[in-house]
Amino acid sequence: MTKLYLLVRRCLTVVLIFGTLASFAQQTVTGKVTAADDGSGIPGVNILEKGTTNGTVTDSDGNYTINVGANATLVFSFVGYSSQDVAVGGQSVVNVALQSDVTSLSEVVVVGYGSQDKKEITGSVVALTAEQFNRGNVNDPRQLLQGKVPGLSIYNRGGNPNSPATFRLRGISTIGSNSQPLIVIDGVLGASLDNVDPNDIESINVLKDGSAAAIYGSRGSAGVILVTTKRGAKGKATVDYNGYVAADQVSRRQPVMTASEYIAAGGNDLGSVTDWQDEVTQTGISNVHNIAIAAGSQNTTFRSSINYRNVNGVLRKSGFDQVNVRANLSHSAINNKLKFDLGFSSTDRRSDFSFNEALRYAVLFNPTAPVKFPNGDFYQAILFDNYNPVAILEQNINEGKRKTINYNARVDYSMLENLTLTVNFARQFENNFNGTYFSRNSFWMGLNRKGLARRFVSDFDFTLFEGWGTYQKSFGKVNLDVTAGYSFQQDNYEDIYIEAGGFQNDDLGYNQLEQAADFSLGGGRPNVSSSQSPNNRIIAFFGRANLTFDKGIYFNASVRREGSSKLGVNNQWGIFPAFGLGVDLAKYVDLANVNVLKFRAGFGVTGSLPNQSGLTQDLYTFDRNNYTVRFARNGNPDLRWEQKEETNIGVDFGIGSKLTGSVDFFVRNIKDFILERDVEQAVFVSGRRTENVGALRTKGIEVALNYNSVNIGQVKWNPGIVLSSNSTELTEFFNTRFVTGEFGSPGQNGTPLNLVEVGKKLGTIWGPVFDRVQIDGINGNVVLKDLNGDGVIKGDAGQALLEDADFMELGKAFPTLEMGWTNQLTYKNWDVNVFFRGAFGHSLINQFRGFYEPIDPGAINSYNRIKTDKAVAGLTEAKFSSLYVEKADFLKLDNITLGYRVNLPNSNSFRNIRFYTTVQNAFVLTKYTGIDPEPVFGDTEDNNNPLVTGIDRRNTYFFARTFTLGVNVGF
Amino acid sequence: MKNIWKLVSVMAATFTVVACTDLDEELKGDFTSTFPTTQFGSNNVNKPTPNDGLGGAFSRVLNGTANHGSWFSVQEVSTDEAVITQKGGDWFDGGIWLRMHRHQFDPQVGGINGAWGDSYGGITQCNALLASTDPQVSTPAAKAQLRFLRAYFYWRLLDVFGRVKITTQPLVDVAQSPRIDVYNFVRTELLAAIPDLPSGKQEYGRANRYAAYALLSRLYLNAKVYKGLANHDPADLDLAIAAADEVINSGLYSLDTEYKDVFDPDNVEALEHIFVAPFDENTGGGMNFAQMTLHYPSQLTYDLRDQPWNGYSTLEEFYNSYDANDKRKVQNFIVGPQYDLNGTPILDLAFDPDDPDGAPINYTPAINQLAPSGSRQAGARLGKFNFKIGQIPDQDNDFPLLRLGEVLLNKAEAQFRKDGSGLTEINQLRTRAGVSALGTLTEGVILAERGRELFQEGLRRTDLIRFGVWGNAWWEKAAHADAHKILMPIPIEQINATAGTPFPLSQNPGY
Repeated sequence: MTKLYLLVRRCLTVVLIFGTLASFAQQTVTGKVTAADDGSGIPGVNILEKGTTNGTVTDSDGNYTINVGANATLVFSFVGYSSQDVAVGGQSVVNVALQSDVTSLSEVVVVGYGSQDKKEITGSVVALTAEQFNRGNVNDPRQLLQGKVPGLSIYNRGGNPNSPATFRLRGISTIGSNSQPLIVIDGVLGASLDNVDPNDIESINVLKDGSAAAIYGSRGSAGVILVTTKRGAKGKATVDYNGYVAADQVSRRQPVMTASEYIAAGGNDLGSVTDWQDEVTQTGISNVHNIAIAAGSQNTTFRSSINYRNVNGVLRKSGFDQVNVRANLSHSAINNKLKFDLGFSSTDRRSDFSFNEALRYAVLFNPTAPVKFPNGDFYQAILFDNYNPVAILEQNINEGKRKTINYNARVDYSMLENLTLTVNFARQFENNFNGTYFSRNSFWMGLNRKGLARRFVSDFDFTLFEGWGTYQKSFGKVNLDVTAGYSFQQDNYEDIYIEAGGFQNDDLGYNQLEQAADFSLGGGRPNVSSSQSPNNRIIAFFGRANLTFDKGIYFNASVRREGSSKLGVNNQWGIFPAFGLGVDLAKYVDLANVNVLKFRAGFGVTGSLPNQSGLTQDLYTFDRNNYTVRFARNGNPDLRWEQKEETNIGVDFGIGSKLTGSVDFFVRNIKDFILERDVEQAVFVSGRRTENVGALRTKGIEVALNYNSVNIGQVKWNPGIVLSSNSTELTEFFNTRFVTGEFGSPGQNGTPLNLVEVGKKLGTIWGPVFDRVQIDGINGNVVLKDLNGDGVIKGDAGQALLEDADFMELGKAFPTLEMGWTNQLTYKNWDVNVFFRGAFGHSLINQFRGFYEPIDPGAINSYNRIKTDKAVAGLTEAKFSSLYVEKADFLKLDNITLGYRVNLPNSNSFRNIRFYTTVQNAFVLTKYTGIDPEPVFGDTEDNNNPLVTGIDRRNTYFFARTFTLGVNVGF
Repeated sequence: MKNIWKLVSVMAATFTVVACTDLDEELKGDFTSTFPTTQFGSNNVNKPTPNDGLGGAFSRVLNGTANHGSWFSVQEVSTDEAVITQKGGDWFDGGIWLRMHRHQFDPQVGGINGAWGDSYGGITQCNALLASTDPQVSTPAAKAQLRFLRAYFYWRLLDVFGRVKITTQPLVDVAQSPRIDVYNFVRTELLAAIPDLPSGKQEYGRANRYAAYALLSRLYLNAKVYKGLANHDPADLDLAIAAADEVINSGLYSLDTEYKDVFDPDNVEALEHIFVAPFDENTGGGMNFAQMTLHYPSQLTYDLRDQPWNGYSTLEEFYNSYDANDKRKVQNFIVGPQYDLNGTPILDLAFDPDDPDGAPINYTPAINQLAPSGSRQAGARLGKFNFKIGQIPDQDNDFPLLRLGEVLLNKAEAQFRKDGSGLTEINQLRTRAGVSALGTLTEGVILAERGRELFQEGLRRTDLIRFGVWGNAWWEKAAHADAHKILMPIPIEQINATAGTPFPLSQNPGY
């Protein structure tokens, strides 16, 4: 049992790429592995000599060669096929036809502090391997998963290369604490996804429900994402090169008036014709190269890789240059009883952040204005909140460097036959060093500061120490697997920020801060701050037992006792239990054509912590502006864990040999959620305090269906679809009904956009309804609808909550259905991957239209105007109403890839060569008139606050369509 | 088998003992319970405030006094002396300022939550220091300073909201008090503080006993309103006169020769300042008048560091209430064509097509309309606290929260209400302003004179209510007879924040 387990574990981390080991081989066996249904060769089939670690894989045509002992039995296995044992019995050629069996579910899946056979899992866990990842110009590991995991929403609105995508797992999991899933890379909790190159990722597993995630306790409420990087294998050294060139083009623009339309509408004619959106954007060319070397001897394997990325976005000057290095080394000693794993990775990135404001002003700037005057100076004028966008990009600098380093060391010791002890130590460092300079000539920021420089330095480090033991034992039909351990996590953060103006010239920019006259003028002019966090610690003890009965009934239970330094002294420790039960009915009941019918039920409690530290203590800060120390905030000594209790019921099924799927229902109850709230100013000094203030309930359903090998002539088609739907209700809050959100400046401050009400779903867009235009001289004013018919229109912001207010729900910010539809087609050497992604039922508030669609006869000289078919003729007053809430359902052809595998002669020079081309965001079907119809789960101008939702802000990066041409070569 | 379990349990036990379980949170970037009161004085460029440990509380008067969206806005935009027009797409802001001007008050109307928060922000700092055992802030003199300051903030709450909670200790919640109790609290606190306050000239940014008397004269003068009486109680008028006389007869204060010297950026030594908000561009931020009132291109007139917001202006009728030769008119308003530092006219490229002045900026006292299309260039601008060339958004002018000019007017009005006298004091101010002395007084004359003298000092709302003309009609504001509107509604945010607590706030009657 132990040996088998170890073998299984090794399969998990060791990928046998190519080659053979001959130290004790006595015979060479060759052959071909084919698919039983069509006779075609299957590449990549694992072949192991039973009872040993000797193995190989088939080549691109299904051929293999292996040296084995005389009495060897070979095990042929491949995902999606039944594995076969064949005794060699002296044969030198062993050809095998594998039966397809997509329902075998014999994958080993990484779970917290160990791994499990997939069929033993009782929670909701999705495992994806590299073949299933998104392709093309993917620079952020988060994008690999977009649309692939039911219930996991990943959005990077617009697609700024310098801003990571946002995760949301199973809807809104918290209001004020950490909403990002816990990332575990090769067993290292809290590792940074920014320090993993997508090329180096072997597989990603997502622990979606509480019963699976509870072993991670406090940081598991938003889900857990387990990343396994590629490792070396025993055998001949292999070298892989992956490279591509990609081009990003603006896919959707803001519809604005042309110069002639602008003049016709009364705008100031400045004599030129300028397409500002063209002026600030570019075709962003990116190129990416990855080289990986892997090899291994009997006891030692390694893989190391170097990744270079030069990425340029559609906004001019936005992009980065990055080198990532990763090395994984494994060594076994004392008859495989002792195993060492060392991992190292580092990423250095030099970014040009450019200025997203240039996109905003490119929409708004006068289309008749020249970019430059004839003398070469930029055309600039004093307008309110409007600046020459090309000047913004050309005059100013906004760049930064980031360095991330991770290393970890792990030792596994098989102390006894059934007992393994593991110790894992890891550290992570991240430095940011940014510089921004606004020129003395920039009307936007620098002119009145006589040049303005900013520098920002931050340093983050994280230490992890964990130790655990695993004990396994079989008692007749019962298999028991017990794990228990300890975890210590600490992070520290410090930073410095300096901002000062008053430069004699622009030559040295932010590199000579001492030149800034603000320092001698003193006081409020230079802005300087520095901070250091306390030791933020999480300490935990955990245990888990997995019980398998008769290989058909599975029971898992775990408990974690965990403490955090961020919580009140008397509430630091919490207990997070979980249990789950699974039964494979197909094993006990004879159902025609149903191979698998596994019911799963799980319950688990996870926690969530506030992002800030120091919340439980009274704080006194130095108020620089008033030059005094003052009492800044009352601490909350009672702050306690935010807890999520989640029940998940699911079924996995396999019908016939081709159709597999799963359906999951879940209910999450989040109680004591943490939020900085308004408290009474008469009592509390700052009027704000972080408290446990309310409860949420999320319900949802997730469906995944896969069909293997639809054969249309020689074309094989594997379709798969994932669907999810969830909604979150506010079940308890100190404030039972209120409006929030803020439309903003100019002129629409204090205009709320969302209604939040206990007992209702989150994500309600709320406002007055547009009725008609009332013409008054040159003005066309908004008349709102008298919704309740009482003859009085109460549509002002301050009246939103009155009983007779004329307000209503104008849309839902969150989609009711999200979908990902994968299609893999193969024809001979060709492969095609077509991936559609969609979200339905949500709306967006189009902020651009809300401010700049009505043609105000005065303001036409301040701003160009948005021009859509939704515009109301004659309207001059910009005032928020239903007019600017648009349905944003969309279906995107997110990714289409065409690949060709080159037939190689049986030589040793190349293992494989594949060319491919990908188009990302090939097209989008939507009625939304703005740039990007993706839903907005939290306000981008308010810390992604999930109570303020559905607002498409003016800072959205332009949405790009990307063409990629790439090659994979293996030596 | 048994041995295995033994081994495992021993190992587990050892591990548990060895394992670190220390979760103390020691802050490194903030001060915690130790309050280093003695280490920081104010470094104001023009004049330092005392290094007495009270700065954390006294600096709170800088909040809401001369910025947008707080006490100043409530006291001014609701009156006939200041307005924020909606300028097309600009300054609608959900209608909160239009409703403020039209007296359509609701619990979210402009500035009330800021006024509430900034007042209690000062009160809670006072309460924290009054509870401190630090010897420096535990002297009777320090406590008297703090009690005066707290009473001043409670006066703001009494005046604007009436029914508030009188909290006097940190973290101790109490029930909301009726307005009369708040009035009595302010009165008794001021009286109690007087003996321990200095009898000599006040230190910069601090109070002396004449600050308490000056505030008492204001309090007694408004007692009719605060107590809910139909008429002025002669006893209160006597008390107002007596309190004013304490100040006038102290010998510490006299009128500055020039009205402008009271408000200039370098007004730190003004002779008539009794209690000031010591604004300073470097170490006393919070006076943003240039931003609040000037049109965007006026940035070039004053070489302002940041672009102004084109918000506040004055009603034409109010502007016209000054004689042409009144020096206060010149000081208080910015009108006419505007130029940059080189004398070139400044332009608004986005001028309204129906603006007769076209692109060159010309601040005209007449305003075409309140909303929705108020002209961007219209309206005399608020210039009393005049601007320095090249200044940052935080102005340097001290804001007199109490000054001799007001005390003289308080005395004059109390005398007039009592026996019809009071001309002497009023004519002192008129003489300085360069306008002819008055021969007779009426209520209307006194109100108009207070308006001219105290413009932009945050007292107009209080005056209009006391004179019973709060419900009158003025430009773009209809008359009303809603007695409850003499109080602002309690802000919705504050009512919400107390939901579920033992002492929830209730809304003022009528709202």
